[in-house]
Amino acid sequence: MRRAPLLLLLAALVPAAHAFTKAEMRAIAAHGPWPPAFARDPSNRASGNPDAIELGERLFFERRLSADGEQSCSRCHIPERSWTDGLARAQGLALTDRNTQSIANVRLQRWFGWDGANDSLWAQSIRPIIDPRELGMGARQVAALVRGDADLACRYRKVFGEVPANDEAVLVGVAKALAAFQETRVSGRAPFDEFRDALLKGDEAGIASYPEDAKRGLVIFIGKGKCNACHLGPAFTNGEFHDTGIPFFIEKGRVDPGRHSGIQKLRASPYNLLGPYNDAPERAAAIGTRHVRLEHRNFGEFRTPSLRNLAPTAPYMHNGSLATLRDVVNHYSTLSPDRLHADGEAILVALKLGEGEVRDLVAFLESLSDGGGTYARRRFAADCR
Amino acid sequence: MRLAALLALAAPAALACEMPGGPAEKLQSATHTILYRAEPGLGVGRHFALAVAVCPPPKDVRVDAWMPDHRHGMNYRPSIAPLGDGRYRADGLLFHMPGRWEFLFEVRGAGGTERFEHSVRVE
Repeated sequence: MRRAPLLLLLAALVPAAHAFTKAEMRAIAAHGPWPPAFARDPSNRASGNPDAIELGERLFFERRLSADGEQSCSRCHIPERSWTDGLARAQGLALTDRNTQSIANVRLQRWFGWDGANDSLWAQSIRPIIDPRELGMGARQVAALVRGDADLACRYRKVFGEVPANDEAVLVGVAKALAAFQETRVSGRAPFDEFRDALLKGDEAGIASYPEDAKRGLVIFIGKGKCNACHLGPAFTNGEFHDTGIPFFIEKGRVDPGRHSGIQKLRASPYNLLGPYNDAPERAAAIGTRHVRLEHRNFGEFRTPSLRNLAPTAPYMHNGSLATLRDVVNHYSTLSPDRLHADGEAILVALKLGEGEVRDLVAFLESLSDGGGTYARRRFAADCR
Repeated sequence: MRLAALLALAAPAALACEMPGGPAEKLQSATHTILYRAEPGLGVGRHFALAVAVCPPPKDVRVDAWMPDHRHGMNYRPSIAPLGDGRYRADGLLFHMPGRWEFLFEVRGAGGTERFEHSVRVE
């Protein structure tokens, strides 16, 4: 008899479930479906080739691909850490200037790296191999490794034909195999994806199973936060570049110019899509490289990262300066216009979120993770024939 | 007959201007008419081209776009190729954020340079 008033009291204390408007439903629908269908990279003739994927996977973990024989791609892109390293700035042969980004979903990008200095995944794969702070190799050493190892040479031949005499061409082949492997790394479905699909189908049970704090955070994300102005689409990124007020000083006397130097490096690169190593004769994928515009405002801009599998990839931002998702949300909540370019993004203003709103937005961001990797390193056949 | 002749005198460029291949947006001044169509259509985060027709044919046309509310333009500088008879193709455009964008057309004709603006919203 006394339970009814108590239940009524409890019901009054619990906020009513949010009823999504048609505009909100459209905005939520735009963040899917997930996962996306595979599409070959036309600039890489090894893309989607199982032999190339296997060669790339071997090379990804290959320590002989570094000057000291101790580094590898997987030393920074650690599978058990969602393909990152947990460090603020990557450490190879020396400390680098930027945070390691996950390779999950990397094939969906238009530009690669925090500054977009490369326009293909295979060109981006060359960068750490020849960077003296990372793997510290040169084309000559990479070619010698491939030619001198019967198994690697055999696998290279299976994908590309005879190992070329030109060292740079061998380096490009190695990078294309590495890219073929990385293309296979796609994050799994996250709680948000289940909720999105349930919402579109009108599946009440599915809608109800998504936590209420994540729903409130989602409403902020697509509403007053305008986060989806840049973090848009199924991968939660527009793939372009913004100055969001993160300092670009690396240390005293040294700055990271971000996209401004990225465009210049891209144009100077012999590996860009306008160059001879693009396997697509019509060069259609080079449209961005052909038309990209260099402006003063690009100084201090960095690529909008995907938000998928964000939770296990701390720390955040191009320099790893924010330790937690809460720090990231607080950054946007208290953003000072003094830290932004005068000619930068005019809609970027402090969100001034309350404590509960910060928690809700963090809960939503956490719901974009798939809850753990599914990667298990394969056992390969011992010998290539 | 008399009404048609009057219209032709009032807006000769408009009546003469056509762009086959589907519906097109139309911008007009006293001296020029612009027809343009996005191919394969407007959207966020993907490159598109503009098919453009200018009547009467000008000396030169430039195309760009910006977001007035955000105070920035595109991250790409479109290229424009003349196809003859006042027809052009602009390539390399990309809207990297949703919201209101404004196309800018600069038409250089015999009487000087004219500037046309046209707002579109992309989601």
